[in-house]
Amino acid sequence: MKRFAAVITLFLVLLSLSGCGFKDIDKRFFVVGTGIDWSGNKSKPYRITLQLAIPSPKIEPGASKIQYETIDAPSIAEGVRMLKAYVDKELDFGHCKMMIIGEELAKRDINQSIDWMLRRRDIQSVATMAIGRPTAENVLHVQPASERYPGNALLLSFGADGTESSYNYAETLSGLSRRVTEKGMDPVLAIITNDGKESYVINQVALFDKSKIKMILSPTETQMFNQMSDHFTKASMHGMFKGTPMVIAINQLNSSFQIHKNNDPLLINMRIKMDVVFEEAPNGLFESPWGPVEDALSLEYEKATVTLLKKIQKHGIDPFGFGLRYRAMYPGPNSWDNWNQLYPNAKFSVDARVKIEGTGLIR
Amino acid sequence: MNRYFFYNFMLVSLMNLMLFVPHILVSNRYSGAVASLLVAPVIGAILIYMFTNAMSRYPGLGFQDILKLHCPRWLVSLSSIFFAVMWWFSSTIVVVAYAVLINRFFNPDTNSTIILIVLVVAAAYAASRSTLTINFIIEITIIVNAPIILFILFKMVRSPQLNLDSIRVVANYVTKMPTIITISAATLIFTGYIYLALYNRLLPPNFRFKHLYIYPVLGFIILVITFFVPIGFHGTEGVDRYIYLWAVTSDSLSMQYGFIERVVFLFLIVFLNLTLVYTMSGWHLGMEYIKGCFKGSKPEIDSPKAPLSNYIILGTFATATVLYLIFTNEKLNYLITSYWLVLRMFTEIVSVLWIFILSRRRLRSE
Amino acid sequence: MNERIRLLFAEAADLKTYTLRNKDMSIDIAYIAPLCDEKMVSDFITVPFTKEEVSYRKHLHTIPEYLKVEDSARWQDLLLRGNVMIRDNETGDIYSLFTGDVICNESPQTQVESAIQGPQIALSEDLNKSLNLIRTMYPVPELGIEEYSVGYISKTPLLVLFDQRHVDPSVLDNVRSKLSSISVDMVHAAGELEKLLIGKRRHLFPTVLITERPDRIARALGKGKVVVLIKGSMFALIMPASFFDFMHAIEDNYEAYWMTRVLIIIRYMSIVLTITLPALYIAIVSYNPELFRVQLAFSIAASRSAVPYPSYIEVFIMLFMIETLIEASIRLPRYIGSTATTVGGLILGQAAQQAGLVSSIMIIVTSVVAISNFVIPINSLSFSVRFLKYPLIVSSIFFGITGVAVGLFLYLCYLCNLRSFGKPYFRLHGKINPAEGDIGQVRTK
Repeated sequence: MKRFAAVITLFLVLLSLSGCGFKDIDKRFFVVGTGIDWSGNKSKPYRITLQLAIPSPKIEPGASKIQYETIDAPSIAEGVRMLKAYVDKELDFGHCKMMIIGEELAKRDINQSIDWMLRRRDIQSVATMAIGRPTAENVLHVQPASERYPGNALLLSFGADGTESSYNYAETLSGLSRRVTEKGMDPVLAIITNDGKESYVINQVALFDKSKIKMILSPTETQMFNQMSDHFTKASMHGMFKGTPMVIAINQLNSSFQIHKNNDPLLINMRIKMDVVFEEAPNGLFESPWGPVEDALSLEYEKATVTLLKKIQKHGIDPFGFGLRYRAMYPGPNSWDNWNQLYPNAKFSVDARVKIEGTGLIR
Repeated sequence: MNRYFFYNFMLVSLMNLMLFVPHILVSNRYSGAVASLLVAPVIGAILIYMFTNAMSRYPGLGFQDILKLHCPRWLVSLSSIFFAVMWWFSSTIVVVAYAVLINRFFNPDTNSTIILIVLVVAAAYAASRSTLTINFIIEITIIVNAPIILFILFKMVRSPQLNLDSIRVVANYVTKMPTIITISAATLIFTGYIYLALYNRLLPPNFRFKHLYIYPVLGFIILVITFFVPIGFHGTEGVDRYIYLWAVTSDSLSMQYGFIERVVFLFLIVFLNLTLVYTMSGWHLGMEYIKGCFKGSKPEIDSPKAPLSNYIILGTFATATVLYLIFTNEKLNYLITSYWLVLRMFTEIVSVLWIFILSRRRLRSE
Repeated sequence: MNERIRLLFAEAADLKTYTLRNKDMSIDIAYIAPLCDEKMVSDFITVPFTKEEVSYRKHLHTIPEYLKVEDSARWQDLLLRGNVMIRDNETGDIYSLFTGDVICNESPQTQVESAIQGPQIALSEDLNKSLNLIRTMYPVPELGIEEYSVGYISKTPLLVLFDQRHVDPSVLDNVRSKLSSISVDMVHAAGELEKLLIGKRRHLFPTVLITERPDRIARALGKGKVVVLIKGSMFALIMPASFFDFMHAIEDNYEAYWMTRVLIIIRYMSIVLTITLPALYIAIVSYNPELFRVQLAFSIAASRSAVPYPSYIEVFIMLFMIETLIEASIRLPRYIGSTATTVGGLILGQAAQQAGLVSSIMIIVTSVVAISNFVIPINSLSFSVRFLKYPLIVSSIFFGITGVAVGLFLYLCYLCNLRSFGKPYFRLHGKINPAEGDIGQVRTK
């Protein structure tokens, strides 16, 4: 009897504790995408867009249903709190894997947004970050017809198990926050462009200094940038050999760089090795020697990349982490200051080695 | 039964992730942490050797039992109470920190005091069991959980997000002289041997310690991973931003093809088990120390029924722990922990030297 | 004698007493007819007595089966066990002859622990037949057999078997003292004796292995365990037992190596699943839905949207259904049993989901819980494991995943704390160097 009473008491005590945190899955609204924009209004600078999933028992192409909520607020956290008044269920960021920052905001300052994301415990550090153009809201409102469940399409474009586009630069929240703080390595984010219709394109990247966009690369440059930063996905590239155009597919690519301090000015040497196969080539290439073709392609590639590197250098940013490497190789209390002095005048040399593996299935 | 010694060692060296050790080391990364990574294994190896050497001369006796053979009673009681408090506290900071961590990640809406009470009650129940039982529990938990941790660590080391340049930048600061704080934080990894102070009672008479060289090496590897992996993930500067460094680091990793996608949950569940076991083990030691102070106490290793004194002592421990949470906060806990680490290192050195000298003297007198 | 025996018993129609007389002697015989084999009585007593080829007194003196009874206090007992009492009226000596004929099943097929290969025959309810089986499978001169009887009324005969070379003397002493200290009126089943031997009324896990397989017993004897056979029950008790013995099907020794290892792993996985799955369902659905993959989270959320109750009510509804179903199919006669499962499993499950009482995932959870429970090879463990999920469910309602993890930890502590006749119940057995000795050996006496 005594034990029985004890059990009952324990249960009553437990009952009094409960009610905190118990919330069923169907009483939660899953946020699958968050967009943060610059609203243009000084007193309420942030426009927050949440993409909320409406769960449906069928998961099949085209079956995804989404609800949108948008609000202007003086700060992000406040905005999210105010948004709760607009929806009937508890907002849950646990499955929010897509964080989009509007281009306008990214041109001003992204640190506030990152800070908010890092502080929230339910936002995953592996959430994908990107820039939305013209606004994050626009991008989030795109709903591809083939989407299987809410928020899937955008995520698949960035994940390794979705498309493998050579224009795509996937960055996670933790990766971005590292680049924002690290001395000698600057943030890079992909840009998702809404072309005004029901679709989007991801083919550009934006390079940041520590807080805002400094330059935006064109699609070709983006592809090259991805290759140089060893963010390799299968890519193709154009080339000319003796006046005939050719298209080659890159099967494998390795890039690395060294910094040579002894030279004056500082020399940054980049080495890119790639194994390629022809996709479009003049007839008879199989019989002709491949050596000159390889050399010509390499040379062309080197020229293009050095131009890109110089362009990036001119903006005073360092997305490849040259500065970090410099700090690692030449330690010392003044290492960082030295680098800041040396980098603007540094010289680049690229050593590209194209190796032809074959000409495809035909000669 | 070398494996039981090994489990204790593993338990402590894995637990360090929760004990603010990485945090302390990382915040001193430019001022001596790297050098202390190199010094700590040496200190650890010496202490392990001396302690196991001394204890193996007294088969079946705990630290306290040995002191009783050689020293006056008041000294034994005094030191026992001191050790008991140290043991209690070593577990308390872990379990308090963990209760807060659970509150942050698993149950954000539940009061952390309530979670702490649950953890503390579970750990106290476990600690009230017999010494032999405690060792079985440690064994099974380590065997179940350690592979998961090692798998996560392995995945992290192999991850492309790990930036070797950042690690090199920090490693270059190896020339900075280590400070007391960093050394005491780093030596914590090697401190599992001190559990022998009680568990030596269990070891059979013909027992010999084998493969002692493993422990410094293993400890060093874990220490290096503990320190450098977060730096590789968050960069040389960003790493300082996080309070729960390892929880965030494990969150930066996702298992695309695993059953649970977010590694942090796996990580937290595994460490919840380890925390409970660590707390149990520490409190059990503290409890036995206090019980040894009473007159007429007889060391028991496998009593079929837990005596009432166990419950009273552990009840006190548990209440004190809950009070500790109520009267401190995360910041204060961190501060107290760093001082405690220093105190712990000196206590350990003193007790190891003490027992070592006692054992030598006995050798000479025979 | 006969008059005294009549007095000792209540008015019993089946108690037969005669006085027989031939040329040179007269005897009184008394026996309880249903307990004895009448043919034996006539073959051994009446026929030789009346034929008189050899003097019957010579029979009594030479044939060892005739036991001389000195103590009149034992009469009742002997008669009740199927003995015939014979009194030589001239000398006044009293003899007993065992002609017992106890109805029992004829060495049946294994039913509870069936194996595809391996012996198909189970222990008998008759001790001699069981011993016959065991002795054949374990033909060793060192096999020690001790006789006991328990129960003031039932006086159930027990046999304690052990191999003298391997048995742990501390365990044997423990068993002996426990057996002789049992004070109850009746013992008829192995499970009953198990409870009496353990001495604890509330236990979560069985610490004595109950089996019907003679091959398992032979193996246990070889490992130095003590086996207790009970008359009238076709199950034997093996002690001490560890948790891992309960997870070991006898066929693991007979079948191909790798598959049996895989099966063992699967068994451990399923025991974890059957204990934790309902609790995890509550914890994940109501506290941490981010643990799932996003697809799963959405489909659960959608299928739960029709359910008006919180997740734990859902769990309780389904578990109630499955537990009653299992119980019903055990209790019902075998022919109706399968109908019950069909009705319950197929129709109710489907209907409950369509009616919006439970979500479709919950149906899967319930079936996994039930099926993985059946994987446990020893019935007594599978029965006790069925209970373990409920405390976990309660703690998960209040504390989510933390509650589940802490609950599992507590189970683990409880298991490690259990001892089966002084031996650790839940302990991983690594290699033990006999020269070094085992952990904790110093002080055990």
